Amino acid sequence: MMTGSARTRAARIAAPIGATAALLGTLTGCSTATADAEVPVDASYRDGTFQANGTYESPNGSENIIVALTLENDVVTDVQITTNPNNPTTANYQGQFADGIGELVIGEDIDTLNVTVVAGSSLTSNGFRAALTAIKADAVES
Amino acid sequence: MRATAFDAIGVPWHIGVGGASTPTASRGEALTNDDRAAVLARIDQFDRDWSRFRDDSLVSRISREPGSWRLPADADTLLALYEQLHALTDARLSPLVGASLERLGYDAAYRLTPVGDPLPAPRWTDAIALRREPGGLMLDTVAPVLLDVGAAGKGYLVDLVGDLLAARGVTETLVDASGDLRVRGGRSIRVALENPADPTKAVGVADLHNAALCGSAPNRRTWGEGLHHIIDAVTGRPVADGVIATWVIAESALVADGLATAVFLVDPARLSGKFAFEWVRLSIDGRLEASAGFQGELFA
Repeated sequence: MMTGSARTRAARIAAPIGATAALLGTLTGCSTATADAEVPVDASYRDGTFQANGTYESPNGSENIIVALTLENDVVTDVQITTNPNNPTTANYQGQFADGIGELVIGEDIDTLNVTVVAGSSLTSNGFRAALTAIKADAVES
Repeated sequence: MRATAFDAIGVPWHIGVGGASTPTASRGEALTNDDRAAVLARIDQFDRDWSRFRDDSLVSRISREPGSWRLPADADTLLALYEQLHALTDARLSPLVGASLERLGYDAAYRLTPVGDPLPAPRWTDAIALRREPGGLMLDTVAPVLLDVGAAGKGYLVDLVGDLLAARGVTETLVDASGDLRVRGGRSIRVALENPADPTKAVGVADLHNAALCGSAPNRRTWGEGLHHIIDAVTGRPVADGVIATWVIAESALVADGLATAVFLVDPARLSGKFAFEWVRLSIDGRLEASAGFQGELFA
C-alpha cells in the first residue's frame, strides 16, 4: 500500500470534472453516488472526510485506487490517496501517480501573467477523477 | 477583431495576424474569409492523407493491404524527420506505433480499453521502405501496416498552415493548434507553460520570436492508469520514466513537436548534436529542468 497526501483548494480540483464524463465508461465507484453525477462547480459541501473507490481496467486486469478528501468550508484541506496494486507494473504507475498529486502544485496563476497563449492542457487520471466525482456527489448539500 | 478560431483534427485552433505592434495578450487579428477557407481546406487534405481515425484516409488504406503507395508531396519532410528521430532514439520513436496504440485501446472507435499485452511496433526495415522517385515519395509495404504520425504530424501541420498563409501574402502570423504553435514576423509572444496537474498554473513562460513551441504531456490524453499516447515503439508500452511534461522550442513546429516526444525517450543531450532547440522538462516529483539557452521564466 502507498499513500500520498496533498493540500489544495476545492475550486482547483473541481474545475476539470465536468468535462470528463465521456471517459468514465469503464469505471465504477463503491460510493452510493454514480461516477458521472453532475454537481455544480459552485455547490456547497458538508464538512468532513469523504472517501471513494475508483476502479479501472489496466492491461493487467482490474485495479483500484482510494481517494479520501477532507472538506472544511468548501475547501479541500487534505487529500489521501491509497493505492492497492495487484501487480508490480501497476504499483510503479500508481506510485508515481500518488506521489505526484501533492508535489505538483507549483507555478504561478496564469491569470496574473501577461501571456499570449497557453501551451498544454490538463486531464487527471481516470481513476482519480471517478473517485473524486463520486465524492463530490456524496458530499454535496441537498 | 479577434483571432480566427475553429476546431480541426480533434483540437481547437487559433490563428492570429499581426506584427510587432500587436499587444502581448492578443493573438492578433482574424483571417479573411478566403484565407480561412484555404487553411481549412489544407488541414482537411492533411487529415485525409494522414489520419488513422478516418476510414477513407491514405493511412487507413495502407493499413488494410500491402503494396506500393504514392505518398503526398508533404510526406518527404515529415518522414525524413521520423527517420532521423528513429535513429537517434534507437528505434524507440517510430511512425509504426499505430497497432501498438490500437492494442492499448487508442483506436479509431476510441474503445479506450486494452485488448491484450502491449504490442511492440514492427521494425522499420522489416515493415516499410521509402523510395524517392521523380514523381514523389513511394512507400513499399510487404504486409498491412498502421502508420501513426502523432508524434510530429500536428506540429508539421502548423508549419504547413503558416507556409500556406505566407504564400498568400499573410506573413505575420501566430498559428496555435492547442499548444503546438508557431509565430512568424516581427512580433514576440509569451507562452505560458501549463502545469499538467493544475491548469490554472504555469510552471514557466517562454518568450518566442520567429520560432515554434510544442508541448507534450501524457495526461493530455490518458484513458487509464499508465495508459497514454506516448509509446516506446520497442516495447509497445507507454513511457513511464517520471517525465510528465515537455516543451520544445525550435525553428519549425515539425521539429519542435517531434523533439517534444523524443525527449520523453532519450536524454536531450543526445538530440542536441543534430537539432538546434531549447527544452523544458517537468518530472513527476516536481523537478523542472530547462536547457541553458531557454529564453523566458521558470517558476520552480
